[in-house]
Amino acid sequence: MKSPSWSRRDFLKGASAATLSALAAGHARPLLGAQASAARRAATADTVIVLWMAGGMAGTETFDPKRYRPFEKGLPPDAFLSTFPSIDTHVDPIKFSAGLEKIAGVMDRGTLIRTYTAGDLGFILHSRHQFQWHTGYAPPQSVAAPHIGAIIARTLGPLNPAMPAFINIGQRFDTGESEELKAFTTAGFLGSEYGPFNVPFPHQAADTVRPPGGMTPGRFEDRNRFFKRLLEKSPVAQAGSDFQRESLLRSYENAHRLLGSPAAKAFDLSLEPLESIRRYVPDYEPGRVYDADRGRGASAALSGYEERTVGRFGLGCLLARRLAEQGARFIEVTTEYVPFLNWDTHENGHERLVAMKKQIDAPIAQLVRDLEERGLLDRTLIVLASEFSRDAIIEGKPDNRVKDQVTIPEKIEEPKHYGMHRHFTDAGCVLLFGGGAKRGHLHGLTADERPCKWIKDRVVIEDLHASIFHALGIAPDLAYEIERRPFYVTRDGLGRPILDLFGA
Amino acid sequence: MHRFGLLASFAFALVTPSLLALTPDQIARLPAPAARSVDFAQDIKPILEASCLQCHGRGRDKGGFNLDDRTNLLMGGDWGDAVQPGSSAESHLIALVAGFDQERVMPQKGTRLTADQISLLRAWIDQGAVWDPAITFARPPPDNLEAVRPELTGGKPDDHPVDRLLAPYFAEHRFRAPRVVGDRVFARRVWLDLIGLLPPPAELNAFLDDDRPDKRRLLVRRLLADHGNYATHWLTFWNDLLRNDYQGTGFIDGGRKGITPWLYASLESNKPYHQFVRELVNPTPESEGFTKGVVWRGTVNASMVPAMQASQNVSQVFMGVNLKCASCHDSFIDDWSLADAYGLAGVYSDDVLELVECDKPTGETAAPRFIYPTLGTIDATATRPERIARLAEIVTGRQNGRLTRTLVNRFWQRFLGHGLVEPIDEMDKSAWSPEVLDWLAEDFADHGYDVKHLIETIMTSRAYQLPSQPETERSQGPSIFRGPTVRRMSAEQFTDALSTVSGVWNAKPSTRVVDNHWAGRNFSPIRAALVPASPLQVALGRPNRDQVVTLRGSIATTLEALELTNGAELSRRLGEGAALQVAAGDPSPAALLERLYRTALGRKPTAAEARIALPLLAPPLQPAAVEDLLWALVMLPEFQLIP
Repeated sequence: MKSPSWSRRDFLKGASAATLSALAAGHARPLLGAQASAARRAATADTVIVLWMAGGMAGTETFDPKRYRPFEKGLPPDAFLSTFPSIDTHVDPIKFSAGLEKIAGVMDRGTLIRTYTAGDLGFILHSRHQFQWHTGYAPPQSVAAPHIGAIIARTLGPLNPAMPAFINIGQRFDTGESEELKAFTTAGFLGSEYGPFNVPFPHQAADTVRPPGGMTPGRFEDRNRFFKRLLEKSPVAQAGSDFQRESLLRSYENAHRLLGSPAAKAFDLSLEPLESIRRYVPDYEPGRVYDADRGRGASAALSGYEERTVGRFGLGCLLARRLAEQGARFIEVTTEYVPFLNWDTHENGHERLVAMKKQIDAPIAQLVRDLEERGLLDRTLIVLASEFSRDAIIEGKPDNRVKDQVTIPEKIEEPKHYGMHRHFTDAGCVLLFGGGAKRGHLHGLTADERPCKWIKDRVVIEDLHASIFHALGIAPDLAYEIERRPFYVTRDGLGRPILDLFGA
Repeated sequence: MHRFGLLASFAFALVTPSLLALTPDQIARLPAPAARSVDFAQDIKPILEASCLQCHGRGRDKGGFNLDDRTNLLMGGDWGDAVQPGSSAESHLIALVAGFDQERVMPQKGTRLTADQISLLRAWIDQGAVWDPAITFARPPPDNLEAVRPELTGGKPDDHPVDRLLAPYFAEHRFRAPRVVGDRVFARRVWLDLIGLLPPPAELNAFLDDDRPDKRRLLVRRLLADHGNYATHWLTFWNDLLRNDYQGTGFIDGGRKGITPWLYASLESNKPYHQFVRELVNPTPESEGFTKGVVWRGTVNASMVPAMQASQNVSQVFMGVNLKCASCHDSFIDDWSLADAYGLAGVYSDDVLELVECDKPTGETAAPRFIYPTLGTIDATATRPERIARLAEIVTGRQNGRLTRTLVNRFWQRFLGHGLVEPIDEMDKSAWSPEVLDWLAEDFADHGYDVKHLIETIMTSRAYQLPSQPETERSQGPSIFRGPTVRRMSAEQFTDALSTVSGVWNAKPSTRVVDNHWAGRNFSPIRAALVPASPLQVALGRPNRDQVVTLRGSIATTLEALELTNGAELSRRLGEGAALQVAAGDPSPAALLERLYRTALGRKPTAAEARIALPLLAPPLQPAAVEDLLWALVMLPEFQLIP
């Protein structure tokens, strides 16, 4: 790994008011469990990048291909398990679904889990499963549960003090189910200091760390100097010390420092060479606005939304690489959850997946290669995941089916019915790269015939979280105190790291 | 929530006498009894406290076994005797703690007893299991439950009752209360605390010029009579407590219902508090959103079904106690049990509820009952509407001294920075001044549960008017009360203050504020409490109201400062505000500067401040310059903190 350009000294200098005051109580107190010291010794990663396949990514259409049958009129819906043929990957026995050739080319750097089993939460609501994936707990909860990014930010702090510890790329909060998304995209009871720094549009990321719209850097600095001078003469500033006032001013200093720091440049994609951007977004045209502003709801024309958003996820991955280079701690890049869009395929599943794969294939492979080339992959854990898988027939789990949301015709006559249009919660895929994860490794086995459920080495959310925490040196039974009771970072402290995922 | 809960419950149940008898070989391997005289208080009590009482003390009786006193000890548990005084080798307790059988070892949680501890226990039993009768592990009666009226002693007879009651406290802590704050500070406090707005310069000046001796009381009354602004300001407080919001989880599938029109009207009319609470506990369709809970689509964890949410929320909001732990298992941090949480939930449930411990059904049920049976009993055979009506009667009855104290404490915490009881949701604990708490609570009830009367009483005390005490760090709780602490404006107060200074208010209230009942009502201006949470308000600490929030975080964060430095909402408001301020056409830069200072800070700029700021406003007046001045003003701690 390249030697970091920041140090512990910088951290102490830059630590925010809240970080410091947390040491003096007022914030949720950590309660170390029995596994605390063992976990600390084992750390193999400093940074986590979650690549979120929002809306339910079908395993059989991506990283766990099964029996393929091309579309033909009159096809019975149970005649196929995949709508794409399989392709080889860089690792012999592991096959992917066609359309993921570039990720297949870096499979030798990764570990594939095929047996992620989502919670049994009844009648499906995507955001409930997403809540559970991101917090480890099923809603509703009696306290505001923190997002895994906030737990990591709270536990490890920023890696580079000038960089927000939890950066969330690609999700807007004014679309369908946005209240439910907000409910877990939060630090919850840990306090907003550890909450997400939201960058809904990567091409506008630079604006989030720039002077406000229309203000020149010169005026911004003048404004700051003006404020400092007024502050100095303010009668209240001349009175004695007060915690509240100091914490206000220190938090302001931190914000100002971030805007002026080299870290802020990491947010500016215009500094990236065109050929480098095109490795993430092959058809990138400078000046093109990758904006989904009109694609807000179910009524939006699907193809229109997707046309406008092609490249957004890719730019998000590029942004993640730039932020990781500057010492980001936790980054999530999402394909964005909007009901019935992206991976949430209630119809036209096959055709939509062609587009989704095109959206993710190049940038994910490039992210892995770029981090490797920069010597950062060894200490950066990439986790590609989704709230659950999909199937053409089964809604829920094979042995506990829930209320259907899509009607499946007896015979498929039109291409729009060819795809995985139901929510399957029994087995889905998670892909890991770097951060101590094994290279070219497969974990878990699923059935070759429907129901394509897990057969060996099931992975549940608390163990997946425990594994991510394991890589970071955080014990699964670490708890934070809220209302005088412990809230464990994995469900009830029961998570156990899956050691088979890690090692040489 | 807690992972040990499961283990504990069946430990004793599995054990039958025959299984417990030790073999001669095992008896031989037991640590020998200590060869000395054992003292209960010194040798045995610490062992029981460390290893046994969590499940078998303070009224708890896992496996039917309770250790609160010697009588209970000798009664044994569901499996039979626990100790045979005089014969430790035949005592089941020793067999269990010796742990020859991994499946039946005590304690089930935590670390095993050491050989030395077992030796002491054996010696104690062999010596007759003598127990100092003065020592009991029974649940102490909860504090702050019965209505108590303290005598007004101390201080001078003409003093405010709160200050009379505080006089002995101050004397005891050798604290001489300083002079009360000046009129300007007092005005800023009461305007923000009562109606959440900055004092308008003209009204502030009129107050400063007023020379009536009781002008502070008169100001408090005048602000309390501003019914609309009062209701809007307190809507925030109650929205947090009653987890009422205009958007949020649960609405999507009808799993949640707002109560805003009912709440706003109740605040606007200053509905007596006992009536207010009655209508929440035993609701009409307009107020049922509170006990209805928040339910997402799909299956819900047993500890969070609507009746359990009602149980948690009624007890936390009105009685100041937290049953959330006890919703999954008997609490480890206080005395609440699963049966308490389920008993109250049973009042609201259509069906008999089976106790579910950490997601595992126990097979037991709890009869519907209130968490403090001494305040009143509920007939378990009554219908659901009857049970709920009875619960409302108990909670709001004159004999319930907890209802009033809990609200007094919340107000005291809001206005003075720390509660009389801390933490504020542990009202079973004693206040640092029981006299003040009890007197305010009784006075509140005596005045027909008039909330405005209570506020006026607190605000006219010297205690409220003392100079604020700077805090160097967040302490774990109040140390010695010497006066209010410096407080940060809430998200809503800040946003409204920003609107006041810039002149830019919100466009329209949330559609959930203005529903059919409200078509004719005219909110003007549209204040922050009436609109859904914006990114700016969220950054400033307006909570997601999926859960009851009784206390907001008070620590300034970097994300919040970023929002204030380059956030889109703040920039837009400042930009539009600057245009409005330029258009106001002040006669001179000095006049503009003075007007903005008076509006924002309630005072003229000092000469030094004017020297810094006036060059910025030199003609021709630039909107950008005014925008930067507005920004600097609202960023000042003097603006953001309540003095």
